[in-house]
Amino acid sequence: MEQPLIDLVDISKSYDGTAVLDELNLSVKENTFVTLLGPSGCGKTTTLRIIGGFEKPDKGRVVFDGQDITSLPPNKRQLNTVFQKYALFTHMTIAENIAFGLKIKNKPKTYIDDKIRYALKLVNLDGYENRSVTSLSGGQQQRIAIARAIVNEPRLLLLDEPLGALDLKLRQDMQYELIRLKNELGITFIYVTHDQEEALTMSDTIVVMNQGYIQQMGTPEQIYNEPENAFVADFIGESNIVPGIMIQDELVEIFGARFACVDKGFGNNTPVDVVIRPEDVELVRPEEGTLTGVCTHLIFKGVHYEMEVTTPDGFEWLVHSTGMCPVGQQVGIRVDPFNIQIMNKPASEDEEAVGVNE
Amino acid sequence: MMNREHTRLKRFFQDFYLVFIMVFLYAPILIMMGLSFNSSKSRTQWGGFTLQWYVEMFQDAAIMDALYNTLMIAFISALAACIIGTAAAMGINSMKRLPKTVVMGVNNIPMLNSDIVTGISLMLAFIAFGISLGFQTILLAHITFNVPYVILSVMPKLKQTDKSTYEAAMDLGAGPVQAFFKVVFPDIMPGVLSGFLLAFTMSLDDFIITHFTRGAGINTLSTLIYSEVRRGIKPSMYALSSIIFVTVLALLLITNFSPDRSGKDRAAAGLEAAGAGAGNGKRRSNPEAFRKGLLVAAAFAIVVSVSFTTYKHFTSSGSNQLYVYNWGEYIDESVIDEFEEETGIEVVYDLFETNEEMYPVIEAGAVQYDVVCPSDYMIQKMAENGLLAEIDFDNIPNISQIDPIYMERSKSFDPENKYSVPYTWGTVGILYNTKRIQELGVPAPTKWSDLWDPRYKGEILMQDSVRDAFMVAQKMLGYSMNTTDPEELAEARDLLIQQKPLVQAYVVDQVRDKMIGGEAAVGVIYSGEMLYIQEESAGADFTLEYVVPEEGTNIWIDSWVIPANARNKENAEKWIDFLCRPDIAKKNFDYITYSTPNKGAYDMLDDDLKNNKALFPDVDQMTNSEVYKYLGDEADSLYNEMWKEVKSY
Amino acid sequence: MNRSLNKYLAAPYIVWMIGFTVIPLAMIAFYGFTDREGHFTLANVTAIATPEHAKALFLSLVLSLASTVICLLLAYPLALILRERGMGKGSFIVFIFILPMWMNFLLRTMAWQTLLEKNGVINGFLTFLHLPNLAIINTPAAIILGMVYNFLPFMVLPIYNALAKIDDNVINAARDLGANNLQVITKILIPLSVPGIISGINMVFVPALTTFVISTLLGGSKILLIGNIIEQEFTKGSNWNLGSGLSLILMAFILVNMALTAKYDKDGEGNAF
Repeated sequence: MEQPLIDLVDISKSYDGTAVLDELNLSVKENTFVTLLGPSGCGKTTTLRIIGGFEKPDKGRVVFDGQDITSLPPNKRQLNTVFQKYALFTHMTIAENIAFGLKIKNKPKTYIDDKIRYALKLVNLDGYENRSVTSLSGGQQQRIAIARAIVNEPRLLLLDEPLGALDLKLRQDMQYELIRLKNELGITFIYVTHDQEEALTMSDTIVVMNQGYIQQMGTPEQIYNEPENAFVADFIGESNIVPGIMIQDELVEIFGARFACVDKGFGNNTPVDVVIRPEDVELVRPEEGTLTGVCTHLIFKGVHYEMEVTTPDGFEWLVHSTGMCPVGQQVGIRVDPFNIQIMNKPASEDEEAVGVNE
Repeated sequence: MMNREHTRLKRFFQDFYLVFIMVFLYAPILIMMGLSFNSSKSRTQWGGFTLQWYVEMFQDAAIMDALYNTLMIAFISALAACIIGTAAAMGINSMKRLPKTVVMGVNNIPMLNSDIVTGISLMLAFIAFGISLGFQTILLAHITFNVPYVILSVMPKLKQTDKSTYEAAMDLGAGPVQAFFKVVFPDIMPGVLSGFLLAFTMSLDDFIITHFTRGAGINTLSTLIYSEVRRGIKPSMYALSSIIFVTVLALLLITNFSPDRSGKDRAAAGLEAAGAGAGNGKRRSNPEAFRKGLLVAAAFAIVVSVSFTTYKHFTSSGSNQLYVYNWGEYIDESVIDEFEEETGIEVVYDLFETNEEMYPVIEAGAVQYDVVCPSDYMIQKMAENGLLAEIDFDNIPNISQIDPIYMERSKSFDPENKYSVPYTWGTVGILYNTKRIQELGVPAPTKWSDLWDPRYKGEILMQDSVRDAFMVAQKMLGYSMNTTDPEELAEARDLLIQQKPLVQAYVVDQVRDKMIGGEAAVGVIYSGEMLYIQEESAGADFTLEYVVPEEGTNIWIDSWVIPANARNKENAEKWIDFLCRPDIAKKNFDYITYSTPNKGAYDMLDDDLKNNKALFPDVDQMTNSEVYKYLGDEADSLYNEMWKEVKSY
Repeated sequence: MNRSLNKYLAAPYIVWMIGFTVIPLAMIAFYGFTDREGHFTLANVTAIATPEHAKALFLSLVLSLASTVICLLLAYPLALILRERGMGKGSFIVFIFILPMWMNFLLRTMAWQTLLEKNGVINGFLTFLHLPNLAIINTPAAIILGMVYNFLPFMVLPIYNALAKIDDNVINAARDLGANNLQVITKILIPLSVPGIISGINMVFVPALTTFVISTLLGGSKILLIGNIIEQEFTKGSNWNLGSGLSLILMAFILVNMALTAKYDKDGEGNAF
């Protein structure tokens, strides 16, 4: 197996006695786009700051390209960070901001000038050299922050919710920009966000975190389609998480109705959680459905309708479909076996948090 | 690990530096608090622990009045500044760019301008507007320099305030005024509060502007202290300052570090900060606590002093008044009470520091004093300029108690004995530290020229007043100390310049404390200080001796006079007569220890006092000594000019 | 809010400023440019060129510059430490630096006499340790010390405020880009705290330049500063015209200050409080 670019080994960190990270392990391969995803307070930013060198872990090691950099100050690390609110130097022009790291390294002037021009071109802001930082819009400032980081040719670029302050349209544009940049530059990105859509759009690998633990790590498809626990399922997209009993391999009982599925190895008659995405719930005529219920809610969402179907046991199924069902009408529910995701039931809250640390 | 070691070392240096700065800031304050428990009145001598000054402080009318004035002015000016400033800030905030710049520019002037220029400009304006200097002028001046601080505090809050909240309040049915007080005001309240506090503190700490804009009738703590610098600060003042300081400190500690907010929510805040990546767990806790604390302190001080002074003012009121203008520490204050009791006249008692300071006050007539106690030459100047009223000696039967010798002496400045009644007199001589001059290997000084002995380098204290300094040089040269001959003056000036490298400091009455503290070997001093000096230095390992130099000296007389514009002339005459009563004169002598011209009082003294040659030299034999005369404006400015040349040399 | 009406709220203050700021300054100008008889003259202003006035002004400039520099050198590291330690919390800093002001400034300065005198507290302590004594009372050094003591808070507070406003991530960004601790200070913190520094310099230099109290109390009146001369012209010499003329010279420095402030501190960021 190829050596990882960055390797976090047993990292723990706490503030004032409250653990933020607990024995965290994470490896990132060269030239990937990794996203740390989770709600605020989950430890993702702390992880990033530890990699960047702005925080020291209480325990554990940070290994960069085979070298232990745990106690190396940020200015000695071969990586750069793009900060949440850009952190541009307001007392400098744009060119000076971009040149900052290069000047510190005493690069020749012609080299610096070339780099500035190149970087500005890369972020589509050619000709902005002598403008002042404050005259730029949020999106432009963000691009300058990225340009300022990449001129140093870091092997690893850390991005801390860089698009958080931008409006929706700009955010989408910047997402494409970032993907393009990553492909053009061939450097590794570690990206922190709480926005699952952003994570799904850009990442090669998503690391879902909660309460200081990694919940699941995988490609966007894996994370979305095969959440390993209720937290991931709930956090990534919308889903119906229903209690069920695994009758035997490839057969699960939900509210007394039996659904065929593709999961095996949970044992017989085991209580499990079943995850079914709203768009995977098919509405059919009552007599054709595995379960039947009444439509209790209907909203038009543009691409699809959002409906709620209440089954006799009182569970409200969230359904996304291009077809509609008027409120009050009886409908049947059917799910394709491939779209049923079975998860072990957590024994307690705590266990839910203990993720699969691969 | 290297890194840890480095961090620890860094923290150590940082701690060391912080402690260093704290010591620097607070050492003088601790010293002062220490002095408030010193039973010796002298700043330089530790006489043992006492709480006496804390008791005396409350009985000292001058201090209590000054405290009242200080707090009142601070409070009213801060309040007024808050109202004017908050309104102005809102107004300025809605102005267009150009007028805004202009207004803010002018607004900044009192903050950027030096206090001395602000003070002087206000003084000139008040005089031009015909506002008589007093409580009201200090108040106006303080409001003027306080408003900018309020605007400074309110403006940022106003900028942060969301305009739509005001509109939302109006939308929900509030009227403009209601909307302001219910919505906008709570938003900018922290700014207003901190502006108030800042203004209060600035007003409290101001000296220079008050110094120029106060009328002679009024003192704040600052100006009172400044006038006391001359005679040495009363320890009661230290006591008062210590109380104020400790009160503020205690209130701050109580409000700022209450134990209920700690542990849990601090951890939570830390977590939040870490999660949001806001920084190294740094958190801003609520600065309002501090402000409220100080506010409470201020309110407390106000309530206390207001109730105290109201009580005092109610107990003593009446239209039968007497305005007395005297030197600081120049009367036994119980004498004033006795006079009030005996005559039913209410005495308003004010202090001045120098003759020169007193003169323009009387000349301007901003406060109409009834009786004043200037020195010889100043009496002549006042009389020549028509500022004095003739005294009706029929109303002063006790005049017979004044030794005729002094009435005779007075004729040099009051030729017909029409205007003045001698109060104290004395000589100017050299005070020397017997032990110190032995160490220096110098014989005891006997004449002025000894003060030019290079062996005294850094050991001489000279008088910091034109005439006294020139007198020393003139007498040494054998000239009259009342000369107006420019050449003789120039000679004296050159002599003083020649002496300057030997001089430790030019001081006025601090000669006394400095000599008691053993700071210098010789000092030029007024004879009246001798008794006090001998008492205070009794415990020291040296003795201080006084000598009247052979070349002759200044025999000075301070006398009571009645200004021409006095409103209560008869009361003034009663006052003078009362002070001439032998028992009263003796009481005053015991307190101020300056030689008394009062025969009756002299006769009551102990023999060793009567024979004290420092206090009662044989005036008849001092033929080469003189009394100061007023030399005219032209000569005055010549003297001032030359003195400036000496001082700035 | 209703802009058109709101701006009239400033009217009372504008009247006040005209009455108590503008007119008084005009009075100084009037006195400064006239003689005792009220005739126009430049003599009071040009009087600054006479040796004793020029020397006093020169001394004032030297001493106030020295104390400003010392204040800056003391205050900047202090502000950095306070920022790093997060001591802004709970307004600790304001607490520490404003508190002494509740003790009268004259008394505090007088207390320095007691500390510095030949037989004062410091020398007593030094003698006890068998160290050589300090002899700075009544020298320019004592005046500088008094100035630094009295005006240091006015340097610390604006600098600290300017530093506290800097986002931690801006510093992190600089370090991330390779700057070491020293480079962070010289390239980021100092340039970004310029408004605070300018404001601090203003607030120390101007009062130091014009003080007369500190030089009287700690300089033994041997050193005459321009403030002393002006004060004496008003209270002792009774030559108000000359005093006003010399005050006008001081006002020139204030104009320089206002210009500096306008240039570097456009938004009033460098405020002390």
